[in-house]
Amino acid sequence: MLEAVQIVIGGVLQGCIFALLAIGFSLVHRVASAINLAQGAFCIVAALLTATLEQSYDVPVMAGGLVAVAVTGCLAAGLGAAVFVPGLRRLPTSSMFILTAGLLTLLEGGSLVIWGSQSTTLSSFSGERPIHLAGLLVPTQGLWLVGLTLVVTLVQGVLLARTRAGRAFRACAENPLAASLMGIGVGRMQLLSFVLAAAVGALGGVVMGPITSFQFDTGRMYTIFGFIAAVIGGIGSPLGAVAGGLFLGIATQLAAAYVSSLFSNALALVLLLAVLVWRPSGLFSAGPTRRQDVRDEPRVQRAVIRIGRRQGPVLAVIGAVLLFAGVPWALQGSGLMSSAIITLIVFVSVLGLDVLMGYAGQVSLGQAGFMAIGGYTASVLAVQFHLPPLLGTLVGLAISLLAATVMALGTMRLRGLYLAIATLAFGLLVDSLTVGLESLTGGPSGLVGIPPFSVAGFRFDTPLRAYYLMAFVLAVALGLLAGGMRGSFGRALMAIRADPLAAAALGINVPRHKLAVFCISAGLGSISGSLYAFYFQFLSPEMVGTPLSLQMLAMLVVGGEGTLFGPLFGVALLTLLPTLFQPLAQFKTLGSGLLLIVFSLYLPSGIFGVLSGDLRLLGGRLIAPLRVLP
Amino acid sequence: MTPPALEAIGLSKRFGGVLAVSDISFVVPAHSITALIGPNGAGKTTLFNLITNLTPPTTGTVRCFGELLAGLAPEAIAARGLIRAFQTARVFPGMTVLENVLTGAHTRIRSPAWRQMLWSGAARREEQGLRRRAETLLDLAGLLKLADRPASALPMGAQKLLEIIRALMAAPRLLLLDEPAAGLNDTETAELADMLRAIQDGGITIVVVEHNMSLVMGVADQVIVLDAGSVIATGTPAEIGRNPVVIEAYMGREDA
Repeated sequence: MLEAVQIVIGGVLQGCIFALLAIGFSLVHRVASAINLAQGAFCIVAALLTATLEQSYDVPVMAGGLVAVAVTGCLAAGLGAAVFVPGLRRLPTSSMFILTAGLLTLLEGGSLVIWGSQSTTLSSFSGERPIHLAGLLVPTQGLWLVGLTLVVTLVQGVLLARTRAGRAFRACAENPLAASLMGIGVGRMQLLSFVLAAAVGALGGVVMGPITSFQFDTGRMYTIFGFIAAVIGGIGSPLGAVAGGLFLGIATQLAAAYVSSLFSNALALVLLLAVLVWRPSGLFSAGPTRRQDVRDEPRVQRAVIRIGRRQGPVLAVIGAVLLFAGVPWALQGSGLMSSAIITLIVFVSVLGLDVLMGYAGQVSLGQAGFMAIGGYTASVLAVQFHLPPLLGTLVGLAISLLAATVMALGTMRLRGLYLAIATLAFGLLVDSLTVGLESLTGGPSGLVGIPPFSVAGFRFDTPLRAYYLMAFVLAVALGLLAGGMRGSFGRALMAIRADPLAAAALGINVPRHKLAVFCISAGLGSISGSLYAFYFQFLSPEMVGTPLSLQMLAMLVVGGEGTLFGPLFGVALLTLLPTLFQPLAQFKTLGSGLLLIVFSLYLPSGIFGVLSGDLRLLGGRLIAPLRVLP
Repeated sequence: MTPPALEAIGLSKRFGGVLAVSDISFVVPAHSITALIGPNGAGKTTLFNLITNLTPPTTGTVRCFGELLAGLAPEAIAARGLIRAFQTARVFPGMTVLENVLTGAHTRIRSPAWRQMLWSGAARREEQGLRRRAETLLDLAGLLKLADRPASALPMGAQKLLEIIRALMAAPRLLLLDEPAAGLNDTETAELADMLRAIQDGGITIVVVEHNMSLVMGVADQVIVLDAGSVIATGTPAEIGRNPVVIEAYMGREDA
């Protein structure tokens, strides 16, 4: 019994930090109707900064913490003014997800460059000796954390309900246009909410620092748990955020203690999905869900890039010649051959993402999760059960399709916002499984001894053979998708992205199409993951973890989404750059975050969009002589 | 005898405490043009939403060519030949004009997606046939030269026209149009009237919500007048023009 109470205390402390993050999510969502995925990263930036001040400059932890919170607030103000608010003005909700995923990647990448990948911790504010209370141990830091949560809850309650700023916040949330007509500076309010949320997160990060360890990428765990807490509590409801945080904290701690820590992540995901499906307005919010048609989503305005019907075949032939003859001839024997192969493998996965996001407009932050399922299933079957690689790949594909179907059916009736978070949670769940199921996957150190891919005894074990295998798989995938996207299937997807209501009114079965593209995307990810493992003959959790999901997002946006061929530019760029400039490898995460932000804000049609005019011209020139012939 | 194109029986819709549509019944004969008119807030668009099940009615039923529509999803209703165009033209941005029109043919496509992916000959022939049909319709509407432009680049009037063409590609049996003449000038309105008659001659029943009385009086076979959620008059355009109740609802009382 005592043990259980002790665990619950741990859960309450864990829950406090979730609650603080959830309050931040609620605040930003209230004012800007957007989910800021970078929320958890601010928490970690402040904690890391405090650690540096304490450990390298001997600043007392509380003073250092205050400085760190102030600096983080300024950082948030800068990023908010330069990225978040401009994004709100011109991007639809689904793109805001990508933009804030870019912010998260940027902050993680920046932290990695500055602080490295070491994990660290802080010293307690008032001594390390826990308080004994009727046989229970309560760390003094826990009291600080609970106190902070109470104060923040009270302050924001008063702020929202009683002050002019609070009313202005609510007006911005209900109807931004009307609010701006009433003389409320909507942009300023959005910025203020963003900075306040970041500051609350930063405070939470500093106060929680002494009772946990953290490193540059811990932030995304806080983002996801904070968001789950916000959803459980009812997003936009301040008290619900606190209740949701505590509930989630206690539930996951109990699960971790009595089942396994693996299970606690799974439980969080299951809780999220259950709440999304049965009570999308949250467990603790009394009011009905806000009508969704009140706020008109910014219409998706984007460049229409089409390679002409005449030029298309010419360019396809050129592409095929390059793929099957040009590139292998030019790169054979050089160190770049391996980069070319990796580019092709990853491109297969990004193709899936392109159909899902670029065509159907459904954001996925968990594509690497399907690569992990495909990769680990095939390699475990090959290593431990000596199953042929092709069979293992197919089994992985089946499992991925099953997982995708369950996820898609669960989140079907929900908007893009929830699907995106569910995919992120799914990715993180797969991450924890690949690390945790050590007896199968080899745990963090990875799985060795994977054979190369082979079909009927023919082994693809030289670089050239591997290259042709990937080129063949890619050509088949591209051919099938190009056929599908130019017909009614592709049009239905684009219509769903642009306006699901109008699409349904024309007889397009929106749920069925969403399910189909989700499965296509997961299937391509899975196949790509299997091939990835067979090529490296090694697989570790970090090769197919959530950072890869975010990186593939960057590849897609940088290359040009909704174009099938465009993402190749993004994949090649982000694969080759770190290879060509080895010393820059540590800037990889930072760079992909930066590219993601810059492209989604300023070049939404990507590299392909910039080049498409030239490509059309090239295709036109090449067919011009043919036209003279009769 | 063919059943009526549309038959509403006792339709009501309550939003909270407001009865937006109360106990509306009417019949739309096949191959006719029926106009729904009434002052702002009379419940016209709500009625359209009830018919297409975008918002389910509180009470009442709708039959389309004799078939009950209750409980059907919007896409299932569209598949039964009932297609609507929205009040604010909802063309698909990010798609070309031609693609928008082709999307309208979605329910008529016979080749499944996997056949399209395999570049099957049948799927491509079907696609070519639809493309020719789409180009013919665009040509009739004078939009053919804009076929490869993004739909969102068209002016509002052309977008509304595009939405009607897109609806026609579905080969509907019953077409619901929500204020097609809003924002059009007199010439464009006259062209629209011709277009509506041509559609009717093609055997398609039309129900149109419209404020533009010259359009209504010019094309409608039957006019249904709504006010405050109820039907206050039904008749031919000539009868409606003489009806004192209608005149009062539209013009207000003399002493007001």
